Amino acid sequence: MITIEKLHKSFGDLDVLTGIDLHVAPHEAVCVIGPSGSGKSTLLRCVNGLESITSGTISVDGIDIGASRNNLAQVRREVGMVFQQFNLFPHMTALENVTLAPTRVRKLSKADAVARAERLLARVGLADKRNAYPAQLSGGQQQRVAIARALAMEPRVMLFDEPTSALDPEIVGEVLDTMRGLANDGMTMMVVTHEMGFAREVSDRVVFMDKGQIVEVSTPADLFSAPKQARTQDFLNKVL
Amino acid sequence: MNLYFGDILPFMGEMLTALGMSFGITVASFLIGGVFSVAVYAAKASPVRALSAVASGYIGLFRNTPLLVQIYLIYFGLPVFGINLDVLQASLIALSLNNAAYCAEIIRGGFSSVSKGLVEAGEALGLDAWTIFTRVSLIPALRAVYPSLVNQFVHLFLTSSIASIIGLPELMHAILEINSQTYRSIEVLAIGALLYFASGFLISFVARVAERFLFRWAVSV
Amino acid sequence: MSEEFLGQLAGLLNGAVWTLALCSSAGIAGTAFGFVLGLGQTSSRAILRWPAVVYVTVVRGVPVLLLIFFVYFGVPLLFGVNLDPFLTGFLSLALVGAAYTGEIFRGAIEAVPRGQTEAAHALGLGYADRLFRVIMPQALRIAVPAGTGFLINLVKDSSLIGIIGFVELTRAAKILSNLTLDPLGAFLMAAAIYFVISFVISRTGNAIERRLTPKLGKRARIQESSLTPTGH
Repeated sequence: MITIEKLHKSFGDLDVLTGIDLHVAPHEAVCVIGPSGSGKSTLLRCVNGLESITSGTISVDGIDIGASRNNLAQVRREVGMVFQQFNLFPHMTALENVTLAPTRVRKLSKADAVARAERLLARVGLADKRNAYPAQLSGGQQQRVAIARALAMEPRVMLFDEPTSALDPEIVGEVLDTMRGLANDGMTMMVVTHEMGFAREVSDRVVFMDKGQIVEVSTPADLFSAPKQARTQDFLNKVL
Repeated sequence: MNLYFGDILPFMGEMLTALGMSFGITVASFLIGGVFSVAVYAAKASPVRALSAVASGYIGLFRNTPLLVQIYLIYFGLPVFGINLDVLQASLIALSLNNAAYCAEIIRGGFSSVSKGLVEAGEALGLDAWTIFTRVSLIPALRAVYPSLVNQFVHLFLTSSIASIIGLPELMHAILEINSQTYRSIEVLAIGALLYFASGFLISFVARVAERFLFRWAVSV
Repeated sequence: MSEEFLGQLAGLLNGAVWTLALCSSAGIAGTAFGFVLGLGQTSSRAILRWPAVVYVTVVRGVPVLLLIFFVYFGVPLLFGVNLDPFLTGFLSLALVGAAYTGEIFRGAIEAVPRGQTEAAHALGLGYADRLFRVIMPQALRIAVPAGTGFLINLVKDSSLIGIIGFVELTRAAKILSNLTLDPLGAFLMAAAIYFVISFVISRTGNAIERRLTPKLGKRARIQESSLTPTGH
């Protein structure tokens, strides 16, 4: 579903990604872990073109995102993204946040978009908050609306960029539950996270990154209990 | 010395009429300059370097020279080109051009204050640049600049008094006229100051009440 | 022709010198008074706070031109002294400037985190030490950009002093335009001189601000610049 080959990315003379190769299969949930500054968020942001690529290729569902603006637009319609800071549109209600892109991009009728949005808000447990503005919602509720907003485009891939890092510890669970549900339904997912428990339990494979490179890719059972690389071992010792 | 306001009372109607002129020219030049400022901002943000340089030059010149000199240039300088403006036209043009330079800077600040994350969220949803501008960035940007725009309006209202120097019959002009007729300088200036201050206060107050209705979404409950 | 031009320019530059004299003296006096007003506005004692707040609010809410006339007509009536045009201009710009700098000082003092005062209290520092050793060094850095704006506004406001008969730059340009019958040339030259003065002030302000800002390492600067949006 997602194929990344020889990906390099630099900001000025700072190299952030130095040669990434990764393949994510359909219905696979992949968690990306690693120390801060390892380039994991940048990697995720390259997948839907929020960061331009310095060299290498990324294709989603066979479409090379770097080849043309049209390809990029096509990929963005198929890839949903959830941000660390939620990034809900502050001047729109929860319902308006969820219906905007389907009506503007997918050209859905207003009624269809509202029906879909209501279904999705119910799915993330926020049916009663449809008319609330983001400022009136807790962080966990905002993030769940953001997930519903991304799902409303019926994406084939979901990207999560540290979705729980800005949340208070006691409400991290409600967002992780929503994500667990998605993974169980077979959504293709790439998740950058610091939640090791979630990575171990939900992902099919775990990617460990450090200093702009993939150090180790493995099933969670192998990576967490028998890491092959010293750097992985080091990192896990610090965080677990 | 003793203060006596009795001599001023017969002139109150004149002062209020003049206040109306002050307010009117402020509204007109705020609107004209406000619309023009959007074009100036667009030119400044444009990738065409010549356009951007002209806009920067315009903003720099009007913000770094006195309004009085700008008024003189338009009222006394333009007739050299055969453009003869009356006092009202010259004042309106000078205040509008001046206001546009300030508003262009305010608008620029507003759009740069809209979090990059909002634009990215729009991009990630596949929205095109125009939709992101109109539906995602515009209203939060207006929300961000609203207090600055209100301040600029009040500032423009106060500085419009400078147009009295070329003879625009606004409040400051009326104050000086009444002063020369009554010789009650302290009293007439005090009443004039009170009218300016109270109007500015009222404008800010109304704007603050309106803000709550205009930007309900920003209020957390 | 060019000698004539130089003669005209000399007349304007003479006016500009008086503009600078007016602004530097009023700027210094206004800032000193404004400092007191800033302390007053941030004082915990109502009897110090209220007069400062009222002064700053009223002066900022009234046109500068009106305040100039207030000093021009009012001081002789209220105090029985006749001021010459320079002193009238100096006094009115200083009184106006004090309200603006008072507001700048208030903002800067309030921008210093409350914990700084609390930490200074906890160390047992006296009022003067808390103010001059802890709060002001931090507040001044915050105040520099606003201070630059204040000085530029002061120079622009000083153009109004010509109205009461003092020959500063704008008045000099007006006189010149009456002599040469070339208002466009005279006011454009004046505008250019004002622009240069503002430019020098803002460049100096930027340099001071840079010097007062702790330097970032190269890596930090690159990361910071990568945060600013660039077009795709």
